[in-house]
Amino acid sequence: MGWINKQRNILDFALNSLLRRKGKNSALFVVYTGIIFLVSSIIFSSESIKRESQILLENSPEVVVQRTIAGRHDLIPEQYIGQLKSIRGVQEVKGRLWGYYFEPGVQANYTFVVPDEFLYGPGYIVIGNGVSKTFLAGKGDILPFKTLDGSYTSLEVADILSPDSEIVSSDLILLSEYDFRKVTGMQKGFYTDMILKVRNTRELQAITDKIRRILPDTRPITRNEIMRTYEAIFDWRSGILLAVISGAAFAFIIFAWDKATGLSSEEKKEIGILKGIGWETSDVLFMKTWEGLIISLSAFFLGVFFAYIHIYFASAFLFMPVLKGWSVLYPEFRLVPFLDMFQITTIFFLTVAPYTVATIIPSWRAATIDPDSVMRL
Amino acid sequence: MIIHPAVIALIAGSLMVSVMLLLSAFFGVSIFRSWDIRSGSELQLNLERKTYLISTLMMYVLWFQLASFFLFIFTADRLHELFVGAMCAAGTLNVNEYGYPALILKMVNFILAGLWLIVNYVDNRAYDYPLIKKKYALLLVITPFVFLEAAIQGLYFAGMKADLITSCCGSQFSSGEGTVASELASLPVIPLKIAFYSSIACTFMSGFIFLWKENSKGVLFSLASGITFLISIAAVISFFSLYLYELPTHHCPFCMLQREYRYLGYVFYLPLLCAAVTGSGVGVLASFRTIESLNDAVPVTQRKLIAVTLISYFLFSAVATYAMISSPLMLKGY
Amino acid sequence: MIQLSAVTKVYNAGKQNEFTALRNISMSIDPGRVTVLKGPSGSGKTTLLSIIGCMIRPTAGRVLVNGKEITSLPERFLTGTRRMTFGFVFQQFNLIKGLSVIENVMLPAFPCGDPYGTMKKRTLQILDILKIEDKAKSKIEWLSGGEAQRVSIARALMNDPEVIIADEPTAHLDTKLSEEFMDILGEMKSRGKTVLIASHDPIVYDCKIIDRVVEMRDGTITGSENRA
Repeated sequence: MGWINKQRNILDFALNSLLRRKGKNSALFVVYTGIIFLVSSIIFSSESIKRESQILLENSPEVVVQRTIAGRHDLIPEQYIGQLKSIRGVQEVKGRLWGYYFEPGVQANYTFVVPDEFLYGPGYIVIGNGVSKTFLAGKGDILPFKTLDGSYTSLEVADILSPDSEIVSSDLILLSEYDFRKVTGMQKGFYTDMILKVRNTRELQAITDKIRRILPDTRPITRNEIMRTYEAIFDWRSGILLAVISGAAFAFIIFAWDKATGLSSEEKKEIGILKGIGWETSDVLFMKTWEGLIISLSAFFLGVFFAYIHIYFASAFLFMPVLKGWSVLYPEFRLVPFLDMFQITTIFFLTVAPYTVATIIPSWRAATIDPDSVMRL
Repeated sequence: MIIHPAVIALIAGSLMVSVMLLLSAFFGVSIFRSWDIRSGSELQLNLERKTYLISTLMMYVLWFQLASFFLFIFTADRLHELFVGAMCAAGTLNVNEYGYPALILKMVNFILAGLWLIVNYVDNRAYDYPLIKKKYALLLVITPFVFLEAAIQGLYFAGMKADLITSCCGSQFSSGEGTVASELASLPVIPLKIAFYSSIACTFMSGFIFLWKENSKGVLFSLASGITFLISIAAVISFFSLYLYELPTHHCPFCMLQREYRYLGYVFYLPLLCAAVTGSGVGVLASFRTIESLNDAVPVTQRKLIAVTLISYFLFSAVATYAMISSPLMLKGY
Repeated sequence: MIQLSAVTKVYNAGKQNEFTALRNISMSIDPGRVTVLKGPSGSGKTTLLSIIGCMIRPTAGRVLVNGKEITSLPERFLTGTRRMTFGFVFQQFNLIKGLSVIENVMLPAFPCGDPYGTMKKRTLQILDILKIEDKAKSKIEWLSGGEAQRVSIARALMNDPEVIIADEPTAHLDTKLSEEFMDILGEMKSRGKTVLIASHDPIVYDCKIIDRVVEMRDGTITGSENRA
């Protein structure tokens, strides 16, 4: 009981002492909170983009087969379907038709996709939310598309995709195979790529080996490979960002060190008095620890809180461009809030731990002021 | 090398702990050499001031070790997606030969730091600091361990390459693989259950004997508690995990730290780690009872440590037993 | 109650600026009496007070407080002894600005681990004795010189010490306040406290409550006079 009371008393004093030196501490507090905000923003955004893309990929096909010529992605001929089907363990093969369409009027790139079964037939399209916004087009409107030969073809908007799946569908235009080939000029008998369904995922390795053997000009990509690449890319990107931030963090640590070492004469006198009237070195150390804890925890909660808002409610406007930087994701989307102990611990280790270590020695220096210094003032 | 924020955090954490220990060891050596409590010289006064710094540093080391132990498991768990065959932390740890040693060193260093703080606590209660030299000798023993941990952890992360094929908990912790993990998993359940509950009973009994009787030393308790710690870990891998996962073959010691299992792993491991420190602390202190100035401090501290150990084991066995009883899984044929 | 034998204090030993503040001091201080250390500045009064008050350890020699040897005690235990045995009144009062009177007076009791309520009750009692209870909530900066002085005495009494140590307490006070201060010390004496003052102010060492005057110069005792 005595120990708890003592800590309560010391905590009380520490709190009071921080409040009495608002001016000195607030600059440190603001910078500290800022660093925590940056670090947690990076970690939150990369973690949730990863989540998002994982969810996305879980619905994607197990194997995609692309044809490459001179290392570039090329159209894949229809005959390959038969050859792929003949591989043992392959259940189903489908050719996919998709591509990009640049609209000079609004300076935007859209994604054309021909779904397996297009309910509306030739002459109609279904558009994503983003497309609807830029064209100001609703159901029943007619949109012109420039075909490969320079003429225009008009397609009627049959429906707009629900905004829930914005991350995937914002720039999507669904259309019939006929219209797709007409606009893009892609010849009959060719597909953009092919997707495979396999009977047993354990045979994946054997199947992809076989594909490479019988169709040497193709490249099979498994879903796991894509997932792993995405993961690595995001970890790498956030790692690089963190490395950049660590420069700032380092400067902050020096700043913290300086703040903690450069005790004002007022503060030195106070600690001298405390020691003179019977506080022990470890009592002063406790006081300093409490001070550090109060600053760290409040900066931590505030920084994490702001980062949470920044990433999940303000669409990470500060550095989304760096983290994204690939063409599958689009600027207009909200990330799904996702927070766990892992991220919190990581942030803690990257911010609070260095700060704490930087302040140990200065605190100890302050705490070991001679008790008789107060007699010599 | 895989650059992940958590990997950077762990490496930075290890570096910080190493620097703190290097500093402590550096001052520790000068204390070890020139300490003379009877002297009023400035050198002695300076050394006394240093003891405060070292205690503070070690306090932080203890907390850092605990946090980094769990962050390490977390990270391994999170990185499993990068490796073929890894489904949880067990797979990632198995990516190269440094994973498990790094984890075990983290635990050992946590326990060592805890023991140091216990010795320090008792020593600070005697007016002549009788353990000061032993204390700093112990510090010099801990330092290389911490450096080793930092190095092995570094090697572990450096040796990670995406797409490595590894085997996960399913095979590592399954019977008949011939590894330590699989042997733990294939321990016969009924004898192990008996061993577990009787070792818990022994620990409580020797603890209560200490608390009620004046003249016991605490060695027996410490021994019982140490054995209970080892048996408990074996029990977690061998059968508590099965009840927890409700699967008759899943022995993984890490999956239970995840949200899917209501973070129950923490309720297992935190009390166990705590009991490991306090339980062995009782034994270490037992050897200092004969020192005159510690006559009072040692038994009082031992009592407190025993109380904490017993509470920890009680918590662990209560939660584990509850998980076992409430599980729909019945282990037939064992 | 306090015995010093052959106490020596050397600063910066072995360095160019080595300085011996105290040389071979032996004396004893009896309980319940008021003793003054008299001498010019630099004579070692303050160092001697610091050693007696368990603030610093002597380089050589032995100090016994209530029969207990404190010379070789580490700071941790020295502080405990100091906290419970001695109350200090400093030259400049040394109160902490920004805190209220009651908070300042309570500070010495913080490390003892008493509940807040108990501490507060005791503080109010002490403030009552010193007749400044109506200022309990005021900030230190708002106090007059006489009030600040009383607060600093109140703080010295907080842990109910046996000995009150005052270092040049009247150096910054006018005559009236100095006499008032000596009156308060007289009351402390009548309550059974041992008082130890370092001063070269005639108001202090000629005061009627003084039992003994010890004269110091250059770190040694040059004379001792018993008055009572």
